[in-house]
This record gives sequence, C-alpha cells and structure tokens, in this order.
Amino acid sequence: MLAPSLVTILTNLIFTAVRSGTIILFPTIGEIFTERSGVMNLGIEGMMIVGAFFGFVVAYTTKNPYLGFLAGMIAGGLVALIHAFITITLRGKQVVSGLALTIFGLGITNFYGQKFVNFQLKVGFSKISIPIISRIPIIGPIFFKQDIIVYFSYILAASMWYVLYKTKIGVHLRATGENATAADAMGVDVFATRYFWTFFGGLLAGAGGAYLTIGYAPFWLDGITAGRGWIAVALVIFAMWDPLNAVFGAYLFGSIDSLQFLLQASGTTIPSSLLSMQPYLLTFIVVVIATLIVRFKHIGVPKELGLPFSREEK
Amino acid sequence: MIRFEKRENISKKLRILVPLLSVILGLLVGAIVIALAKINPFTAFKAILVGSFGSKYTFTETLVFATPLILISVGLIIAFKMNFWNIGAYGQYIIGAVASSYFALFISSNLPKPLLLIIMTVAGLAGGAFWALIPALLKAYWEVNEVISTLLLNYVSLYFLKYLMYGHWRDPRSHGFPLSKTFADNAQLYKIIPNSRVHLGLVFGIIAAFVVWFIIKKTKFGYETRIIGGSKQAALYAGINVKRNIVIAMLISGALAGLAGMAQISGVIHLLQIEINPDYGYTAIIAAWLSYLEPFAAIFVSLLLGALSAGGYQIQITMQVPFGIVSVIESSILFALIGSEILLRYSIHFKRGRT
Repeated sequence: MLAPSLVTILTNLIFTAVRSGTIILFPTIGEIFTERSGVMNLGIEGMMIVGAFFGFVVAYTTKNPYLGFLAGMIAGGLVALIHAFITITLRGKQVVSGLALTIFGLGITNFYGQKFVNFQLKVGFSKISIPIISRIPIIGPIFFKQDIIVYFSYILAASMWYVLYKTKIGVHLRATGENATAADAMGVDVFATRYFWTFFGGLLAGAGGAYLTIGYAPFWLDGITAGRGWIAVALVIFAMWDPLNAVFGAYLFGSIDSLQFLLQASGTTIPSSLLSMQPYLLTFIVVVIATLIVRFKHIGVPKELGLPFSREEK
Repeated sequence: MIRFEKRENISKKLRILVPLLSVILGLLVGAIVIALAKINPFTAFKAILVGSFGSKYTFTETLVFATPLILISVGLIIAFKMNFWNIGAYGQYIIGAVASSYFALFISSNLPKPLLLIIMTVAGLAGGAFWALIPALLKAYWEVNEVISTLLLNYVSLYFLKYLMYGHWRDPRSHGFPLSKTFADNAQLYKIIPNSRVHLGLVFGIIAAFVVWFIIKKTKFGYETRIIGGSKQAALYAGINVKRNIVIAMLISGALAGLAGMAQISGVIHLLQIEINPDYGYTAIIAAWLSYLEPFAAIFVSLLLGALSAGGYQIQITMQVPFGIVSVIESSILFALIGSEILLRYSIHFKRGRT
C-alpha cells in the first residue's frame, strides 16, 4: 500500500480542524454579540456543557440529531437568561455571575449526567457534498464535504457580520455597548437589547456544546467541554469582536486540536499530556498578542463592556 | 416598573440577612434539583448534616475540607479587593503542590522534619506566587484580561502535572498508575488533632487570615488596594503605583493558593497524583464573595462550604448522589448573593408605567 501523500494528510487534518473549530465558532460568535451589547458573559463553559448535555440526551432519546441540536441551543439560551437577569436587571457583578454560571453548568450536568456516562449516540448529522464546489482541489474536500451544521455555521458567521455592520439592528447593538446612555436617548431599549443578545449568546454556546456531543464526539462524558468555553472567551479578543475573524480563530484552534490527535495517533514520542496542553498554551499566547494589537491600534473593545445601565444614575 | 433608589448607608442587619437568605435559596435550588432526580431532599440534607457536623470525627473532616478553602479565599480577598479577578487559584494550587513535592520526593532523604517542612512551605508559597506572577505582569504592563489568562494557565498547569505523573515523577512500583512514591514521614505535615486528618495547614490558614486582615486594614499597601478597587482612575490621580500593587497583590494571592496545595499533599494526600483537588481554587472564589471580602468572615464561610463538601462526599458514597449537587448549591448561593447586592445598595420602589 502506498503511504498517504502529504496533501492527503493535510487535507484530512484541516477537514477535522473545521469540525473541531465549529464547536468553538458558535460560542465565539455568540459571545461577540453579547459583549457588543455591553454584557460580558464568562459562563460560556457552563452554557456549552448544558447545551452539550441536553443536546445529547434529546438526540439519544428521540434518535433525531437535529432535535437534539435545537434542544441544546434552547438549553444554553435559558441558562444565559439567569446571567441576564442577575447582571442586567439586578446589576450584579458580571464576572462573578459568569463564573457562577460555569460552576452551575458543570455541577448540574455532573448530577443528572451520571447515568448517561459513556452512552454512545447512534445517529449523527448528515454529510453533504456541495455540488461542483466540493470538487475544487483541496478546498472542496476540506470545506464542502462537511455536515449540515458546519454549513449552518458558515452562513451564520457571514450573516451575523452583515447584521452587525450593515443593519439597523447592528447599529443599535453597537450603540448599546459603546454608550448606553446615548443609545437610550436615541430611543434604543437598552434592557431589551442586552437581554436579547445575552440570550442569543446562550443559544450559540448551547449550539457549540450540542455539536460537540452530537456531531464531533457522539458520547457523553462528565466535563466533556474540557475548557472549550474558556477558549471561546479568549477567541473573542483574538477576533477583535468581529464575527468573520472568529472563523479564523476557531479554525486555528481546531487545527491545533486535530494536530495533537494526529501526532498521538502517529505514535510520537512527545508525551500526550504535553500535546493536550497545546490548545490552551497557544490560546494563552494568542490572547496576549491580540491584546497588544488591540491596545496599540485602539480598536475593538466595546467601551461600556461590563458596565450595568440604569436610567436614574449617570 | 421597578425603580431603584440609592441607599445612604448599608444596615448591619442586611449584611447578615442577605448572605443567610442566599444560603437558604441555594439549598432550596439544591433541594429541587435533588427531588427531580427522585431522591428525597430531606434525607439527602440530613445525610449532609450528619456527614459534616454529626460526630466529632465528621467535624474534623469538615475542618480538613475547610483548610485549603481558608488559605485560598483569604488570598483571593486581596486580589478581589483590587478588582483583579484571580480565577487562577486552581493552577497556583497545583504549581505550589508540585514545587513542594519536588523537595519531598527528590531532596528529602536525611533532612530533619522541621527543616524539610519549612523548605516545602517556602516552595509551595514560591510556586503559587510564580504562577500568579505571569498573569499579574501581563495585566499590569499590557492589560491582558486576567480572567482569561489565569483560567488558561489553570489548564496548562493541570497538563503539566499530568506530564510529571505519567513521566519521571511516577513511582516505578505504582503498577503504571500515575502516582508518585508516598512521602517519607519527614515530609508529612504535623497532625494537630489526634485520630483525625486535621493538620497544621489549618493553623496556616488562620494565621493567613490575620496577616491579610492586617495588610488590608493597617498598611499603606492595603489602603492603596482599597482605593484601586474603588476606582483605578482615582488611584492613578492620587499617584498610586497601580502596576506595582497589582503585582504584589497577586504574589500574595498566588502564594497562599500555592501554600494550600502544599498543605493538602503534605498534610492529607501524602503523595503527588493527578487528583489533588485543585477545585478548591474555584470553591474559594465563592467563599471569598460570601464573606464580603472580609478575612475573618472567610474562615467561617470556608467552614460552611467545607461542611457542604464533606457532607457531599458522604452522600456520594452512601446514597450515590453525584457530587455535582454541591456545585449546584454553591453556584445558586453565589447567584443569590450577587443578585441581592442591589438590595444592599438600593431601596426598591414599584411603580406603574415607565418613568
């Protein structure tokens, strides 16, 4: 048998990287919009794992992966509403509420998930080869022989970019995060805007979690998100609050993730624990670099990120 | 619509009532979650209570669980007072444990016990401080978001620990399990209550609470910390060296988390392994908030959360109730606490229509 050519190996690597990156892409886009509205939700890890769990359980019991995906999204959105209520209505500390959300999500899925541990899912998302463009060398097999949810993520990233920069909704959203008082004077309902985009962030965090347990690794394990939610928080900075940049960030992370599996499978002498460390270490380095760029170019950060809004006080 | 009016002063009564009601609300959420799993919540809560305060022995177990929480939470208090969100106690704990284990595993042979324990204590403090120094410098000089940096470093430290435990630090006689050899007696922290697992770390914790209280209330650094926490801008105008203060606060915070890691492996586990309970680093965040960032209150709150953990382990073993229930209760307490912060600062008025 001939050894697979380097091109084949790389194509397969990036194909898997896109799948792995999709898990992070959803929550990253969601958090970009939540933060653009002025709310920081650090509870992505918690919302993701709740989405991963409910998505898995519903897909498992109904044998319908799409119903599972939807359930995961809704579960993530509902959990995000806790954060919205605490931080927007009650003006509680956003950092602490986000952490509480993470602890809550990990705890509750550990509690109810015990009896599902190591259950395997027999159904998955259908793979579709897009006619014509899937036959383009290299790019075709990587990007256009994926499953429906991956295509959904392409459309989502592009359309959310459009919403953010080209629509009135986007203008209101950005105004709310940049200067809530001015937005309020413009007639934007600051509370409703923030509630909606926090909920939206939860939906997408749930989507990322559900894609993980239904599409990427079709089984349930305690703590299966393994810090991916935190990587998404970091990628928001890398993406400089732009949904299209988020795509690059997510696939970069996905590449590192699939590269470590490839290396482990190839029987490398590098200890697996050091390989598993790479996504976190790399994200750490990327965040430092991105922060420096943001700082020197004065771009990106929504000015009132993390600040509660009230009409009475200025 | 609901309208909030700023309170002139916060009553002492509310300061106690709010945390108390938060705890009750947390337990209530826990009870509902348990009941939904078709387990009687009263039986479960009774078992938690018996498993934490039921006998002299179970109470000493509560103290064992509370010890790392006290050490870490009083350290976090300094960082949090400054609005520096150190979420990295998890990693600082691991690196502290690893640094002190190095001396226990590879240097110990003939050293007298007090000397070795002092070396290990210093190593634990230094290890934790070093791991906290990285995000502190990045925050102080480059404004790198400390929540993200400390969290990602938690994962880095966990995989570093795994690397050691599957590599050179593994005991060749462990049959492939990722365990180091058991510490010799001279590397094991003194017990302070006979027939229990309570160790000297508890004393460290209480001393740490005094030291932190003193630093915050009686030193120039503590005074500046409070100003920075109030408003970074104001602190800069007042000529306070914010960068230096961030680094010092994080060194103290990290050192105490590292000491907690050292105390846990030297006092309780007696060897290094992958599961050394760094999750205390997250629980301690809750302890710090529940105590309103007061070091002495943190001792009391840590006891409470320690009891919850001790009882939680009990019901996991005896009733097969997953330990996640403890996290559900803790996070619900935290939600209630920060959600009701507004009651402390504002009085609420209900009105019809929009103003």
